[in-house]
Amino acid sequence: MKYNDLITPVGTKDYLFYESGIKREIGHKLSDLYKTMGYSEIMTPGIEFYDVFDQNSHYFPQEKMLKLTDDKNRLLVLRPDSTIPIARVVSTRLKNALLPLRLFYNQPVFRHVQELKGKSVEVEQIGIEMIGSSSDMADIEVVSAAVDSLSACCDNFNIELGHAAIYNEIISQIDISDDKKEEIRSLIESKNHPMLDECLSKLGNSKTTELLRELPNLFGGREVFEKARKLMSNNVKLLSIIENLEYVYNIISKIMPEEHLSVDLAMVHKTDYYTGIMIRGYLDGYGREVLSGGRYDKLLSEFDYDIPAIGFAVNIDAITKVKCRNSVLNESNAPDVLICAAPGKELQALKVAKEYRQKGLITEFSLFNDKESLVEYSKEKKIGKMVMISDDGVTED
Amino acid sequence: MSEVLRIALTKGRLEKNTVELFEKMGYDCTELHEKGRKLILPIKEKNIEVVLAKAADVITYVEHGVCDLGIVGKDTILEMNPKIFEMLDLGFGRCKFALATKKDKDFYAGYGVKVIATKYPNVSRKFFESKGMDIEIVKIEGSVELAPLLELSDAIVDIVETGNTLKANGLEVIEDVVPISARLIVNKVSLKMKKKRVEELIHDIKENI
Repeated sequence: MKYNDLITPVGTKDYLFYESGIKREIGHKLSDLYKTMGYSEIMTPGIEFYDVFDQNSHYFPQEKMLKLTDDKNRLLVLRPDSTIPIARVVSTRLKNALLPLRLFYNQPVFRHVQELKGKSVEVEQIGIEMIGSSSDMADIEVVSAAVDSLSACCDNFNIELGHAAIYNEIISQIDISDDKKEEIRSLIESKNHPMLDECLSKLGNSKTTELLRELPNLFGGREVFEKARKLMSNNVKLLSIIENLEYVYNIISKIMPEEHLSVDLAMVHKTDYYTGIMIRGYLDGYGREVLSGGRYDKLLSEFDYDIPAIGFAVNIDAITKVKCRNSVLNESNAPDVLICAAPGKELQALKVAKEYRQKGLITEFSLFNDKESLVEYSKEKKIGKMVMISDDGVTED
Repeated sequence: MSEVLRIALTKGRLEKNTVELFEKMGYDCTELHEKGRKLILPIKEKNIEVVLAKAADVITYVEHGVCDLGIVGKDTILEMNPKIFEMLDLGFGRCKFALATKKDKDFYAGYGVKVIATKYPNVSRKFFESKGMDIEIVKIEGSVELAPLLELSDAIVDIVETGNTLKANGLEVIEDVVPISARLIVNKVSLKMKKKRVEELIHDIKENI
């Protein structure tokens, strides 16, 4: 019988040396950033009850979740998302905690992926949740945190803003079936102009259909707001949403290069998970968003705790991939010092090593008995300095 | 024109039609005509690179973002359901998906679960799901018409153009599934990060189709 003991499952990989170093570094940088913003870390279990995710508005399609059972034959899943478990904790253990709650997480999520597409089942994420405030300042805080997150890791990134209420408000103006609404939403999401035109032509001509037709084009820089206002001139609610979004846009355009900031009014999420501002982050060299989030005021009410929330998640693996792209993934850092202790001098070696390490130098012990292996090792590893400890004392080389 | 725009074309007829379109747009397609065995072909002076691949691969490259745009048939898009922007119907490569069976066979008769042979299992499944029908799918890689003739399946879901192949093999279309044509797809990040260049290209294409 063949064993799969030498390979990792499809969609997973081992990280070594430089690559794992970068992955950790990103996690540390961003955790430190979030701590300075007043966020505290929360860690949730890798395994949760399926029931936690099996709810309407924010669902995870069940096909996407990796499932297992516990000893009582109840259905469990590997965590496919961190925001929902955090909502579970906030609505139980933290029900009486002072609001707003600022939490961050740094843990992997697990999802089934389409076969053979080079996508990962296990994705390391870091993200924040700002829970219990629907103020403008909360939105601005979180969007600016998204900007700071990407600028901390990368040189060339884009931030994109959207608003979930725009599409919802527009589509509520026409009386059609939910199926038709989903069809239109899907066509707008894929910017499928020809099919969208065809679909809308069956609904007659109105300001609403005109707006829906134009929606996939309403993306770009600040010029989008003026274009949108002209098309939405008869809808007070929409104009107010646009005004709010533009307000945030203007502020964010002053904390990052404006040519890398954009807006897409056609950000239409499949479920009504998002209720307000939406954020996406892109990196040059990666074909999907590396940062995603927004305001999700309805989620916690599913856990019987009706409070607003906003947050985002960063795909650390994606950023790692881009950063490692042009480097040869070679070995661990070259040690600064190699200590060769003669037999009987081990205790002294430990003390000498401690001194070097306290100065911040990477110090290794030589484990070789013969000179040749030692020389070969130090050449290969590009050792900075050799320290010999013998009866003659401590000598540096 | 700072960065290269990379376009993946589906080898074969769609490639031919696209090259004609590009020439109409005034692009220098000499490298595309004299490609030999090369796989990445530059369009001089436009800072565009053309990549030739099989339909499913065009979608894979565009989905991953290593190609910014792609030209591929709606059939492959429907089958793969990729996360990309499908922005233009180019009008060429027109055909359709159809359900076909042996001539004079009553496909819907009887209570047994029908067996469908197809190169496009996802399209077939979705089609029958919309009818609330349970079916068994057998994937066939080519010459799907053989399956019902060899009695492996009750019917096929396949691409039909003139219908001559079906006719020649004693099969007939019993229902149209969905029309197909060549589409322009765009990577979701490329559209946002290379907005101006991509929009200019789309505009040029629109003017010439």
